[in-house]
Amino acid sequence: MNPQIIVLTALTGAVLSWLSGYIYSRLRDILAGMTSVILVLMISLSHGYSCSFSIGTFMGFPLVMQMNSLSWIFALTISAVTLCAVIFSYSYMHGKENNGLYYFMLLLVNTAMLGIVFSGDFLTLFIFWEIMSWATFLLISLKKGKALEAGMKYIIMSVFGSMAMLGGILYIYSLHHTLVFSKLSAFAGTYQPGSTAAILILFFIGFGIKHAVIPFHSWLPPAHSEAVSPFSSILSGILIKMGTYGFVVIIYIVIGLKTFLLFAGFRYILHVLAAMTIIVPTFIALRQDDAKRLLAWSTVAQAGYIMAGIVFSTGLSVLGGLFHFVNHAAFKALLFLAVGAVEYRTNGVRDLNRLGGLIKRMPLTFSAVLIGVCGLIGVPLFNGFVSKWMLYKSLIMGGSPLLAFAALIGTWGTVLYSYKLIHNMFLGQLPREYKDVEKAPLSMRIPMVLLALPVVLFGIMPGIVLRWLNSVIVSLGFKSIKITLWGIASSTGSVHMIYIAAAVLGGVIVALLLLSLGKKPIRIAQEDTYAAGAAIPEDKYNFTVDFYSPISKTIAPFCKDIIDTFYTKTAAGIVKVCSMIRKVYTGYVGTYVMYIIFFLAALVIVQLAWSF
Amino acid sequence: MELLNMHPLIVIVLTPIAALLAGLFFMGVTRKFTARIHWRYGPPITQPLIDIMRMFSQRPVSHGTMFHGGVILSLAGALAVLLFIPFGNIPPLSGSGGLLVILYLLLVAPLGLALSSGEGANPNASIGISRKLMLSLGYEVPLLLILLTLMTRYGTLSIYDIVHAQQETQWALVTVPLFISGIAYILILPAVLGIRPFEVVQAAQEISSGPLVEYSGPYLGLVHLEHGLTLVINIALFVNLFMGGAQNILLFFVKMIIILLAGLSINAVFPRLRTDQAVSWLWRWPALLALTGLITVMIWR
Repeated sequence: MNPQIIVLTALTGAVLSWLSGYIYSRLRDILAGMTSVILVLMISLSHGYSCSFSIGTFMGFPLVMQMNSLSWIFALTISAVTLCAVIFSYSYMHGKENNGLYYFMLLLVNTAMLGIVFSGDFLTLFIFWEIMSWATFLLISLKKGKALEAGMKYIIMSVFGSMAMLGGILYIYSLHHTLVFSKLSAFAGTYQPGSTAAILILFFIGFGIKHAVIPFHSWLPPAHSEAVSPFSSILSGILIKMGTYGFVVIIYIVIGLKTFLLFAGFRYILHVLAAMTIIVPTFIALRQDDAKRLLAWSTVAQAGYIMAGIVFSTGLSVLGGLFHFVNHAAFKALLFLAVGAVEYRTNGVRDLNRLGGLIKRMPLTFSAVLIGVCGLIGVPLFNGFVSKWMLYKSLIMGGSPLLAFAALIGTWGTVLYSYKLIHNMFLGQLPREYKDVEKAPLSMRIPMVLLALPVVLFGIMPGIVLRWLNSVIVSLGFKSIKITLWGIASSTGSVHMIYIAAAVLGGVIVALLLLSLGKKPIRIAQEDTYAAGAAIPEDKYNFTVDFYSPISKTIAPFCKDIIDTFYTKTAAGIVKVCSMIRKVYTGYVGTYVMYIIFFLAALVIVQLAWSF
Repeated sequence: MELLNMHPLIVIVLTPIAALLAGLFFMGVTRKFTARIHWRYGPPITQPLIDIMRMFSQRPVSHGTMFHGGVILSLAGALAVLLFIPFGNIPPLSGSGGLLVILYLLLVAPLGLALSSGEGANPNASIGISRKLMLSLGYEVPLLLILLTLMTRYGTLSIYDIVHAQQETQWALVTVPLFISGIAYILILPAVLGIRPFEVVQAAQEISSGPLVEYSGPYLGLVHLEHGLTLVINIALFVNLFMGGAQNILLFFVKMIIILLAGLSINAVFPRLRTDQAVSWLWRWPALLALTGLITVMIWR
């Protein structure tokens, strides 16, 4: 399928569903859902398709759209996550105002993201990039109030990133007089160190801001937590990964692997940034009390893993990084949707200190969070395990044990905040006010099941995705890695999920056999607990607030978001200076006449001084 | 030596049974040895086995599916790890993934227990789990550094290769750059095994045995078996990584007993630290030593 047809379909669907909203609101929802389903089908049918089309010119620059293995896998992930978010929105957004704008912007963001990955030149990419940024701004600030603040923060940083990117694009054009990827890749490896550094830094800022790499992360936590939950899942699952796509394009297609490998110093800085992006947000996450904010910080950290894989530039690490992108899209979108379902049923409660014990009330949502969390931690047999294993292995064998340590300890931090998330929402005591909470509606359960499937499937049979990704890394200039359906079979070390699955399954069978020897249990209520003879008062001893208080104090000094404070203070300073300048405009005509007279007088004085 | 020629399937069946029995034996030794240090007579060494048999004859209570499934998952996780660790001359049954897989599979058992005990609304269980997770974050910092040191030094991810390399030369514990990491490992071993001064999780006097408070009958039996297995696994890891494994299963067992008795001697005479004290101690001295070890190895190459 031609990429321009896919993008056009997405755009037409967006406009049609928007217009139909004025006729009948249900028609709009149905059209939005149908557009997403058609897109998923169109993209999955174009598997293995590779092409490049010139679709016209803009101010004399050719506009090119292309499709290859890299853009295909990104496009599939984008359309799949968007589909789930659209279905989820049916009940979540039902009865809220501005629904027409919401669905239109959601589909427009989808169109723009597809446009980005199908772009064959930098100008097309930049145009879609800007559409995506502005549509995202409107979606983040949909709820007004705090959300508007978050949106402002996002768009200011985004504009800054776009400017850096535009600078980079102009610089590349001044070097080669073309912006088309296929022509630029012919120049890969011919860059001088100075120009390589300039290109890398400019694009690193441009893409790094979307990717939320430290020090450009500070838009992400407020934006993810204040946006409506289905859109948070898109933001976290795929939108920030447009930065990943950008990194891959700029490093491996424009600059070229060989030139990049020569840049030891710059790569070292990127490694340090990746390590910081993994560790610091992980520890900040485990001190959060807002479920979505916790997940937002977790997103920053997981994006750090992806970046570490991409910039470490060995075949296995890039493969692992790209695989982690796919996995993260699945489990993080799932987690945001599940938190959104709880938020929906409890009338907007996201505060982890106020929830608890919902496991019996919302069993499917609990299972969804459990699967999502297992993927996030990387418990064996869930998808995150394989991609993280590949990252660790390439980091350790590539001689960077300290970076590997950052990645590993990040995972153990992940265990802590993941358990806090699942415990404080679903385990422990059920507060009395949630006694009658109903299970999530069907239109919320379907997308959760859809997203939970790949988390488990890719965990046991990672070969499905790894085969596709293997052709991507070959096209980027790496050696092919031996992939089987169950994992990796390289000579320097292999992982076969089938053995691990068999071992765990064997363990389960033994445990079941042992348990069957004993007497059958009596089922008792959640609250019927042992308290050494003294009854635990209902609703009083819910252990959730400050779940990790003993270490909270120890890590608090290291968890200050200095960079965000710096940005906020700078912004406040600028506002202060500007408001001082604003005092010039008093609103009295007399003052303005006085300014004019002063100005003329100054001119006369300058004139006189000049003539001397 | 006839063990070497056994069919892999027999080994797969025998290893878990032997490990479960060894775990029970270790728990028996723990009680007896501690009693003797305290100048008590102590229960017979078979007491844990008798206890398990009693528990299986009692009727338990259950809070629901997660409560039930979590316990099973917990024991299954511990049993699965066994297959990836070499015991003396019995090689690991699968080289798949090496140390990283062991590290990750070790997560399954505590995670299963955490999810299971959370379904009952007992605050003591929640407190115990939060302590367990914090303590493990405490000792994982030095432990991961130590493991990375070994993997960098021997240039492999496979535990079998690490054991093999030591058998050809000498124990990692007495090799020049690695002994620093070895000392760090010894310092954190009580925390890994969950014994005093790091017995914060199952603090019986404070939080009614923490995560175990809701279990009864066969459930409690399974949790005890899992506890024994965890003892075996963690001691076996140390013996493999720093004491060169062993040429045969008997010698391996002797080495494990020595480590256990050394740990118990500490356990019997020390009081318990608070969680925050334990974590800050673990993040200070052992972590510093382990980091020194890693950097030394990185420069050494």
